[in-house]
Amino acid sequence: MTATPVLHSPSAAAPLARGTPRRLRNGRIAVGGAVLCAMLLLCLVSLFWTANSNSNFYYDGQHTEVPLAPPQVRPLWMLFGTTRLGQSLLGQCLFGGVISLTIGVAAAAISLVLGVGVGIVAGYRGGWLDALLMRIVDVLYALPYILMVILFKIALEPLLNGMKIHGHPMLNPMASNLVVLFLSIGLVSWLTMARVIRGQVLSLRSLPFIEAAHAAGVPQWRIFLRHLLPNLVGPITVYATLAVPSAILQESFLSFLGIGIQKPLPTWGSLASDGLPLSLTPVGPCWWPLVFPCTLLAVTLLALNFVGDGLRDAWDPKRDGAKI
Amino acid sequence: MIRLLVIPLVMAALVCGAVIWSGAHGGQDRADFSFINRGDNKSLDINDMSWMQDIRLAFALWEGLYTLDPVTLRPILGCADSATVDPQTHKVWTIHIRPDARWSNGELVLAKDFLFSWRRFLETPGEYTYLHYYIKGAKEYSDAFAAYGSARLAGRTDVKPPDISSVGEEALDDRTLRVILVDPIPFFPALCAFTPFYPMNEASMEHFKNVDPVTGAVNYDKAFTRPPNLVTNGPYYLAEWQFKRRLRMVASPYYWNRASLRTHIIDQIYDEDPLAEFRTYDRGEVDWLADVDPTLAAGMLKAGGRNDLHIFNAFGTYYYTFNCLPKLPGGRPNPLTDVRVRQALAMSIDKEQIVREVGRLNQPISCDLIPKGIFEGYKSPPGLPYDVEKAKALLAQAGYPNGAGFPRLKILFNTEATHGDIAQIIRRQWLNNLGIETELNGVEVKVFGKWLNTQQFDIARSGWYGDYDDPSTFTDMYKSDSEENNAKWSSAKYDQLCAAAQAEQDPHRRFELLSEAENILLNEAPIVPLYTYVGVYMFRSNVTGIPLSPHEYLMFQGVHAEH
Amino acid sequence: MTRFIAWRIAQLPLIMVVIYLITFALVWVVPGTPFGQTERKLPAAAEASLKAEFHADSVLSFLGYYPTRLIFHGDLGPSLSYEGWSVNDVLRYSLPVSITLGLFAMLIAMVGGCAIGVFGALRRGGVLDYTSLGVALIGISLPPFVVAGMLLAIFSDRLHWLPSGGWGSLKQLILPGFALALLPMAYIARLMRVSMLDTLGNDYVRTASAKGLSRTEVIWKHVFRNAFLPVFTYLGPALADAMTGSFVVETVFNIPGIGLHFVNAVKNRDQTLILGTVLVYAAFLLTLNLLVDIGYTLIDPRIDITARSAAT
Repeated sequence: MTATPVLHSPSAAAPLARGTPRRLRNGRIAVGGAVLCAMLLLCLVSLFWTANSNSNFYYDGQHTEVPLAPPQVRPLWMLFGTTRLGQSLLGQCLFGGVISLTIGVAAAAISLVLGVGVGIVAGYRGGWLDALLMRIVDVLYALPYILMVILFKIALEPLLNGMKIHGHPMLNPMASNLVVLFLSIGLVSWLTMARVIRGQVLSLRSLPFIEAAHAAGVPQWRIFLRHLLPNLVGPITVYATLAVPSAILQESFLSFLGIGIQKPLPTWGSLASDGLPLSLTPVGPCWWPLVFPCTLLAVTLLALNFVGDGLRDAWDPKRDGAKI
Repeated sequence: MIRLLVIPLVMAALVCGAVIWSGAHGGQDRADFSFINRGDNKSLDINDMSWMQDIRLAFALWEGLYTLDPVTLRPILGCADSATVDPQTHKVWTIHIRPDARWSNGELVLAKDFLFSWRRFLETPGEYTYLHYYIKGAKEYSDAFAAYGSARLAGRTDVKPPDISSVGEEALDDRTLRVILVDPIPFFPALCAFTPFYPMNEASMEHFKNVDPVTGAVNYDKAFTRPPNLVTNGPYYLAEWQFKRRLRMVASPYYWNRASLRTHIIDQIYDEDPLAEFRTYDRGEVDWLADVDPTLAAGMLKAGGRNDLHIFNAFGTYYYTFNCLPKLPGGRPNPLTDVRVRQALAMSIDKEQIVREVGRLNQPISCDLIPKGIFEGYKSPPGLPYDVEKAKALLAQAGYPNGAGFPRLKILFNTEATHGDIAQIIRRQWLNNLGIETELNGVEVKVFGKWLNTQQFDIARSGWYGDYDDPSTFTDMYKSDSEENNAKWSSAKYDQLCAAAQAEQDPHRRFELLSEAENILLNEAPIVPLYTYVGVYMFRSNVTGIPLSPHEYLMFQGVHAEH
Repeated sequence: MTRFIAWRIAQLPLIMVVIYLITFALVWVVPGTPFGQTERKLPAAAEASLKAEFHADSVLSFLGYYPTRLIFHGDLGPSLSYEGWSVNDVLRYSLPVSITLGLFAMLIAMVGGCAIGVFGALRRGGVLDYTSLGVALIGISLPPFVVAGMLLAIFSDRLHWLPSGGWGSLKQLILPGFALALLPMAYIARLMRVSMLDTLGNDYVRTASAKGLSRTEVIWKHVFRNAFLPVFTYLGPALADAMTGSFVVETVFNIPGIGLHFVNAVKNRDQTLILGTVLVYAAFLLTLNLLVDIGYTLIDPRIDITARSAAT
């Protein structure tokens, strides 16, 4: 049964109907997107050098004659200075960017799928299923996160190392460490999103037009797709774009505690936590091990946030704020 | 709208109330001497003490039969006023407790107090129970008592507890102790000055006693270590202990030598973070910072100009351990069982570079387990030098020319501090010098400890501080039956030499035997010493009496801060 | 509604029991004990003796001793890593500190976040919108230990405006309070802004405006109240998180709160303290979530969370 004209109110319009291309040219997305693309391109292209063990830019290349050297323009690989072991900080920052973004996107994807899924099911179905799911969320929220991460690492890493395809190990130890890390982060970060989405669904399903749709006999899935989902885009987009930075920051916290990425792999977070004591010591501080990774981190995360804002503005049907 | 403002207003009110409620225990009188210790206090029960920060406090709160001289830190008579050893066997000590020795509650210190504490060490084993095994019959008693407990737990009622009089320690009268040793060890006075041989006041602990009805094991609720319950016999007593804020020790009015105390009120301040600790010291709020963050210290050393920074060699070594079992964890065959492989790995590490880049505190590099020069008259063996050519040759001899075919080994370390950086350097040095690829395995500290002690590693970083003033505190570690032998390496000759040294009466010959043993250890290289630890203190010129002792010991009665 | 509340309250003990048991299982399985040092091996006899003393030698002895003491005496047992101190002691000294700091931080976060969100939505696209949002976003674009460290370095070490840490005076509350507030403030600002924009597009807003209500009245009486809902949902866990302290802030600013113990207890494998802190956190979280759920109906009477499902 098709929707009757009674239901055709601006707030129920399908999101794709409006002039989308025009909206996507909104300032936020442009600026944020450009910065993001530039950063991604830079990190990926520079892999030719930063992952090449013969290059001076190699992330693990220990130039023992210049430990903790300040930034200088010549030679280029010392542009950001060097670390305590003489490694090129520029190389580490760029390589670390690839790793950080991988962790961020993977963990965010996991938490998005879980959070939105559970939130919608709980809010929409209500009743005992809602109660059960929310109590499970409560229990998981209360469990000690650090303990779970430690256990994950100990339990999963040998498992992943042992997985073989045709007799060859599927993942080398560094890769399996990475996988365990974004699994640990993603599997714990979905909880708040589930609660918020559930709250939104609860408030939406009691709106008059939903009840009217029921009364008119519109099938459930249609109500869901055409009326509920578009109105959830706002909070979902907000949380999705907050999920990537949040995952990256979670990894930095784990590095700060010593249970993050395995050396010698760098991430922006582990570089920041290594650089912090060096730059905050009151005597003889070295600013570059902290400033450069943090700048890259902040710029990228801000760009992600701006893109998220812009996307939300573009897709939301109620975007035209009332002129009052 | 008003209704929504309720939330922030309520919270503001709660905040004000909470500030008042949780507020400071403010406005105390300043202590004569305040310091920041090496970390959180883990335990003030002598039985359970093993961390340096607790031992430091124990030196102030208790006094053993011997104590340490505040300046030279050599053992001198303390609670005892005379101690003699029989001239023939040098195994029987007769010690007389001074008549004016009193507990902090005024009661007299008697021989039974020492026996009570020593017996407790045997029946409720602690970290340092093994030091009691130098006393005749102690080990047997301790094992028999444990067996009795297990038998009782298993339900048997016919067993009897072992007889305490079988142990070579007894009270000849109220104030005289006789101790019979297994071997004529020369460092018995040093042991008596150390925490496992301190007395305890049984009467004050009675209230906290729990006796297990099945096994008969006696436990004490640890609340007895908090003021005002803790009764001690040393120069100071525990006056106040605010959790994670401050601990205060005050001179005991009953201490027999209180006239010699240069400081009367001592505060230990807690700080969570090394930088916060430094700031507290730098502001002048504490007189002595007993443990300085290495990055900070290295920065200050490099910048120069701080005459309140004191760095000195410590009584410990940082080294790497090789797993010497026939198979590695996971069942793979172990290439490290071949001594040539171990020697090759040991000789291809450039230790200077490690100290220069990571240590940064001019730690002396070491090819020995026992810090060089610590013991007068002890001739340190040369150990294995840094010689890449020789290392390559050895590796080729062992069947891995230029590292071909050498399996990938993992280096285990804990992720705190700079262990990861050191591992990265060593990994690269082995790759460049020998062509061997290794992997890093950094884990959290407790996991590291567990895996190190259960041989779940290929190569692991290690460290050891000596417990008492004798080379055997290091060499005993690598005897075949020692629990601390993490490499699980064994050499019959080494065990023989250690046993001979223990029974040897002539001190020079003893040192020779131990030196020979250490030589074997270093040549067979189940371990690779890297450098000697350093201690870092900070205190200004108005503070006197803090010795730069390799043990990092300190007797508070000799310390004074001029304000 | 009262039935609903009663039912939710009745569920609390069951949830706490589940949390307790799962946490206990996790702690039991992870390698490492609270006893002994790192490099030196604790002799087996000593370890066995310590474990027996603290009833930590087997699952049965632990679960047989501690839960009963908790339920009947309210005693969480002795701390395994801080000998001589009971878990109750540790909580008693550290919890008030964290609660104070948390409430202060959330106050700043709520007021600041809502202000930024509301004004950003009203003056959308303007300079104020971009800059205020940017400032708020700093909180989630840098790791918290960097932010805390930098605040300390700038305001305390360089400018000497504020003390560098410790606890006891109101002045010592300011820097850590701000450091702790930045993250929730950023979330609240964004949620508020998005939600305001959504609500502003609703019909009833235009109607109210057409009816002749003043702009302020429209915004505060209709828009803000409805827009507050997502923020309100977020408040539950955010408040619980803030009040149980932040490890980073408490470490950097040297505050003797409970946040330290969440991490240190795990690092030390202090089983009783881990269980104690987890139970405290769970209590806060569950209570606040319940209050938030109840509060839904107060804010938006149309919401009926007791309803079965959207379909009849």
